[in-house]
Amino acid sequence: MIFSSLTFLFVYLPLTLALYFLTPLRWRNLVLLVVSLFFYGWGEPVYITIMILSILIDYIHGLLVEKYRANDRKARWFVGQSVVFNLLLLGFFKYWDFLAANLSLIPGVSLPQFGIPLPIGISFFTFQTMSYTIDVYRQDAPVQRSMVKFGAFVTMFPQLIAGPIVQYKQVARELDHRVNTTEDFALGARRFTVGLAKKVLLANSIGALWEACLAAQSAGTLTMVSGWMGLLAFGFQIYFDFSGYSDMAIGLGQVFGFRFNENFNYPYLSTSVTEFWRRWHMSLTGWFREYLYIPLGGNRGGTVKTLRNIFIVWLCTGFWHGASWNFILWGMYFFLWLMVEKYLLRSVLAKTPAAVKHFYTLVVVFVGWGLFAMENLRVCGSYLAACFGGAPLWSAADGYLLRSYGVTFLVLAAASTTLGKRGWEKLPGKVRAVLTPVLMAAGLVVCTAYLVDGSYNPFLYFRF
Amino acid sequence: MTKAYSRFLTAFFCLFLGGLLAWHLFLPDRDRSETENRTLAQAPAFSWAALVNGSYTKGVEDYVADQFPLRDDWTVLKARAEQLMGKSEFNGVYLCGDTLISKVETPEAAQVEKNLTYIQKLAEKTDVPVSLGIIPSAAEIWKGKLPAGAESWDQTLLLNAAAGTGLPTVDFKGALEAHASEPIFYRTDHHWTTLGAFYGANALLEALDKAPLEQADFTPETVSDDFSGTLYSTSGIHWLTPDTMEFWVGEEGLSVTSWRTGAPEAATLYDRSYLQVKDKYSAFLGGNQPLCVVKNEAIPDGEKILVVRDSYSDALAPFLTQRFSEVHLLDLRYYRLPVAQYAAENGIDRIVVLYSAQNFVTDKNLVLLTQ
Repeated sequence: MIFSSLTFLFVYLPLTLALYFLTPLRWRNLVLLVVSLFFYGWGEPVYITIMILSILIDYIHGLLVEKYRANDRKARWFVGQSVVFNLLLLGFFKYWDFLAANLSLIPGVSLPQFGIPLPIGISFFTFQTMSYTIDVYRQDAPVQRSMVKFGAFVTMFPQLIAGPIVQYKQVARELDHRVNTTEDFALGARRFTVGLAKKVLLANSIGALWEACLAAQSAGTLTMVSGWMGLLAFGFQIYFDFSGYSDMAIGLGQVFGFRFNENFNYPYLSTSVTEFWRRWHMSLTGWFREYLYIPLGGNRGGTVKTLRNIFIVWLCTGFWHGASWNFILWGMYFFLWLMVEKYLLRSVLAKTPAAVKHFYTLVVVFVGWGLFAMENLRVCGSYLAACFGGAPLWSAADGYLLRSYGVTFLVLAAASTTLGKRGWEKLPGKVRAVLTPVLMAAGLVVCTAYLVDGSYNPFLYFRF
Repeated sequence: MTKAYSRFLTAFFCLFLGGLLAWHLFLPDRDRSETENRTLAQAPAFSWAALVNGSYTKGVEDYVADQFPLRDDWTVLKARAEQLMGKSEFNGVYLCGDTLISKVETPEAAQVEKNLTYIQKLAEKTDVPVSLGIIPSAAEIWKGKLPAGAESWDQTLLLNAAAGTGLPTVDFKGALEAHASEPIFYRTDHHWTTLGAFYGANALLEALDKAPLEQADFTPETVSDDFSGTLYSTSGIHWLTPDTMEFWVGEEGLSVTSWRTGAPEAATLYDRSYLQVKDKYSAFLGGNQPLCVVKNEAIPDGEKILVVRDSYSDALAPFLTQRFSEVHLLDLRYYRLPVAQYAAENGIDRIVVLYSAQNFVTDKNLVLLTQ
């Protein structure tokens, strides 16, 4: 199930909220576990088994690590087992076909590809459960002895399928003792509505422009202007889609009494690529720092080792986003820019005006989105070539696209800044109190209109 | 946030979600949607097998969406919001002032080429002369009305390819363009109007060396001024003035036989019951059917024409009856027997394959012509 669907909003969510809040506090983790499994199984019922298996294995490993705490070798062994299990799970479902296809290119090697649909959220929940056993081992988090509570952590539907990646230690306390207040509910509902609007109204709308530009590329009618419009469109689409989803997750988490960490911090305001990565998908970069970069030795082993460690992190970051070469390339692209900034541009950037740095960062990031968006490297290459002068500057069709999406672009650009937030905070409290429900109602109503329209499917005798 | 205000926001949020759920539950389920011209999904029956293979959950999602309260009104709100954002395309339909024009997507070149060869094969199979008529849609004839720079596939590519087959073709484009300033297409529907069909009929008669029809010989009867067609449905733009629909040709002297069920049944040139519902265009000959034959008693020994049709021919057929003793309309979606054989058995003198450009490029049934 996805949040931006009529079934979720108008059937699953109201029923879940009713069930959850009518249940006494001590049973609420169980309710959360059950409704989350239901949520997870909605699209692919069979995959509930993977989820249950994953819960069982990591739950048991957590207990084993705790039990053998005195025997470090054994404890490490169990941590290792848990990590290997999660990576195998991820490796098989997400990467096997890619590996098999590429290894089969070697003469004499022929590996079968299975074409199994990817269990949703597997990239997120495997990382979460891995962090649990590691945290227990490092004594960063207490072991969880209740399987229900542990299961509720792993399956928690608000963040199950698109993050943010919640580390066990961040919610350990709330699993055991949480308070549900109406204030949390109200704030969470407000946050959820904002996220829904970002996803349904902003991301989906501008996504259509990216599709149009991609189609123009394959029809050979792409121009420089539409090429850049397309990159902008995709960059905005992915930001509002993903951060909208994070907002919905954080909001729903708060409704149920959990505090998830923020995942985005106005990334498009960054004035360097390094800064961008401190503001974008923070739960992922944080995870890699804590569970990969630092265990590898971080920056403590001299320049060469530091470079190696950063390289590994970015290789993994790229590959985590998808089993395809373009994602690896995308990770390497950012590795290179980060290293250039770290070792070559540091003093130059220090003297550059902020506006120039901002522009430079956006160009690097949006060209990066080109690499990210186009899995077919040949398509990607010719698309980017068109952007950099390999196509006519402009055509009449671009004028049409600009007129159709100009207002949307302005809204997106403004929404990428703190403009709205600052303006909102300047309003008198009374005005905000009146505007909040009005804007929420408007957001929910218009989102509903877009979702219903999306399901609208006139049968045209058209066809005749 | 004060406690009272939190309670208010919480209640408000829950009421919106829960309220629509309750409304959905209490609202009786509809069987079909007039606007969308299709049956709506009903509550799926539960079975473990359906759950495991995913069809149950899919069924629930379709049911929730199809039976959503005020379904049509939400789409209007969405169209309004899009308009506010400066859009002029609404689900593949351009809003051009007071007129809706359907965008033609770039078709698969292979399908177009195949469809043209199927018609050539029919011409080889039968002794009856075969003509090909492609009716360009409003996106071509009214190109000038489209928003500047808006894309729609260039239908002249298809017309040129049709001319390239060597078959005699009908110049609908020239005929319609000569009258482009007149209401030859509906503003809310993708079909041509009766006026458009009249010009089309003369283009066809000219191609078949028949005497043209005179506009003065007809007395148009306005049968509806409340026609909102397919483009109204698809776009969600429900605020344009509805179209006017006219019948030009009188029914006297014409006998109509429909093969709706496989057996011949007496029918009428116009089925006026459709004028009371949304799908008013189906009033011409009563809409889709495998085969329909119209005989004109006033021309006992004229020629017989077979039209391999799409729905554009429904408005055209009344005019053809004025120059042929029999007009046979055959729809390849429902009529599965060999066309060449049909022509031979029924003493057909002319075959015309008559399609609108938009249907022709996507049609998958023309292969039946090669039987």
